[in-house]
Amino acid sequence: MTTDWHLDPGLLEQYETGVLGPSRIMAVEAHLLACAGCRALIPADDAWLADSWSAVYDDIHAPRVGSIQRLLTRAGLPEHRFRLLTATPTLRWSWVLATAAVLMLAVAAARVGADSSVPIAQAFLVLAPILPVIAVSGAYGPPADPMHEITGTTPAAGPALVLWRAVSVIGVAVLMATVAAVLLPGPGWYAAAWLLPALLLCTGTLALATVLSLPVAAGILGGLWITGVLAAASDERAVASMFGPTAQLAYLVSAVLAAAVLILRRRRFDLGENR
Amino acid sequence: MTIVAVQGLAKRYGATVALDFVDMEITVGVTGLLGPNGAGKSTLLRCLATALAPDAGTIRVGGLDPAVAAQRTEVRRRIGYLPQNPGLYPNFTTYDLLDYVAVLKEITDGRQRRAEVRRVLDEVELTDRAKTKVRKLSGGMRQRLGLAQALLGDPALVVLDEPTVGLDPEQRMLFRALISRLGERRTVLLSTHQTEDVGALCERVVVMSGGRVVFEGSPRELAGVAEGQVWLSEQPPVGNAAYWRNADGFYRTIGHQPAGAEAARPSIEDGYLLLLGNAVTTGATR
Repeated sequence: MTTDWHLDPGLLEQYETGVLGPSRIMAVEAHLLACAGCRALIPADDAWLADSWSAVYDDIHAPRVGSIQRLLTRAGLPEHRFRLLTATPTLRWSWVLATAAVLMLAVAAARVGADSSVPIAQAFLVLAPILPVIAVSGAYGPPADPMHEITGTTPAAGPALVLWRAVSVIGVAVLMATVAAVLLPGPGWYAAAWLLPALLLCTGTLALATVLSLPVAAGILGGLWITGVLAAASDERAVASMFGPTAQLAYLVSAVLAAAVLILRRRRFDLGENR
Repeated sequence: MTIVAVQGLAKRYGATVALDFVDMEITVGVTGLLGPNGAGKSTLLRCLATALAPDAGTIRVGGLDPAVAAQRTEVRRRIGYLPQNPGLYPNFTTYDLLDYVAVLKEITDGRQRRAEVRRVLDEVELTDRAKTKVRKLSGGMRQRLGLAQALLGDPALVVLDEPTVGLDPEQRMLFRALISRLGERRTVLLSTHQTEDVGALCERVVVMSGGRVVFEGSPRELAGVAEGQVWLSEQPPVGNAAYWRNADGFYRTIGHQPAGAEAARPSIEDGYLLLLGNAVTTGATR
């Protein structure tokens, strides 16, 4: 659309240089809106337009910063690192809620059966170290991560990414189990007795996963743990010894050894390495 | 200029030989890797993309050796890879998914990453789908998103495993146009078992069968393999030659000249079928 009269070139120049008062700017812009001919005389700032469009596009489409991200960023976690962790299969809400539900059920069962002769509280001791292991098993690689082949062929792939994801899921699982442990009836040591077995099972799983796949490694160690605790379940003294000071020391030493193996063989987490 | 050089590459899965001492060179432009299912195409691409370590042999990508851990990371910076089953997270939006892969590709600065995501969305014509969840995209759009993630970081080598499988003709044309544009300034290696893709896109073609390279050359040279061995006749040929009835009602035969048949101009498909031998052609064309 154009009009049959046009702005004076001197007025246009004053408009471009920004020396006009507000009322004259409004008058000029009212005419520019109606007159394509005059509008064409105003040089467009393409770079400014492109930047503005990009900013608008990003505001609309870029991932929203949620409260958890804000919290973690304040704690020092870089924004890009948070993006990496959001894709961890066992950090999704469905998994977190399922884990919380399992722990709540174990605590509820222990509280309901606190007075019975059956050691229901021990179910928690079986369960609590296993949950971080399950989380680790689904933190990286197939079948939990459908994008593992793309992920595994990027520059960020390899041991660092596996360990970042493993540590983050272990952290979440341990935090939830700790909260549940506080609510547990029975001897006070129950609340902490599962921590070192959990540490051993997690580091052991990661060390074994340098030879086998993560789910298989988790299945083997988790299965051994459950078998061991269930075998001892009928004997209260055996259970106590499984979680006693000597056993805890053994768990700690074994976890350190597993961590050493993990560090030495960490490159095996890279898809491009021969296993 | 040679971008990828492969020498004596071998890979076994138990008793199955996937790659049987493969030698090949890839230059700038679009190269098609053609072969039937089980020919070893995907295994070769996975080795090139550093998703799989070969049992034997050497690979050089731009002179770098992906068998050496330190050089492998540099190779990954130069490669964009679209696997056959990319497994794109269904609950991510198109934008979020690319943002995530951009982080994996070491684009850690937020502003730079957003610009890069916009660039690839524009390149694959998905800008207006930025907020759409992956599960709501059509098959063709999903493949374009797969291609977009491969293009993040502007890699010099793009490796695409069966990118046109399952696409309808319109989406396939769109995808071909994209790949064709990519090949103008990058090295693109794509596997396919569609000879039409090779004819439409590729400057060079490598045919694989049984884990081996059985042909390397231009699409025209591949068609030339069947020169003087393609025939049209009104009656079906006698014997067990490979033939089919075309849309005009003539019988197209590959191999010896049937009685009363006239020579026909060979296509890429004719050359491909002839290379793979009767064991494949008799089963595939009847």
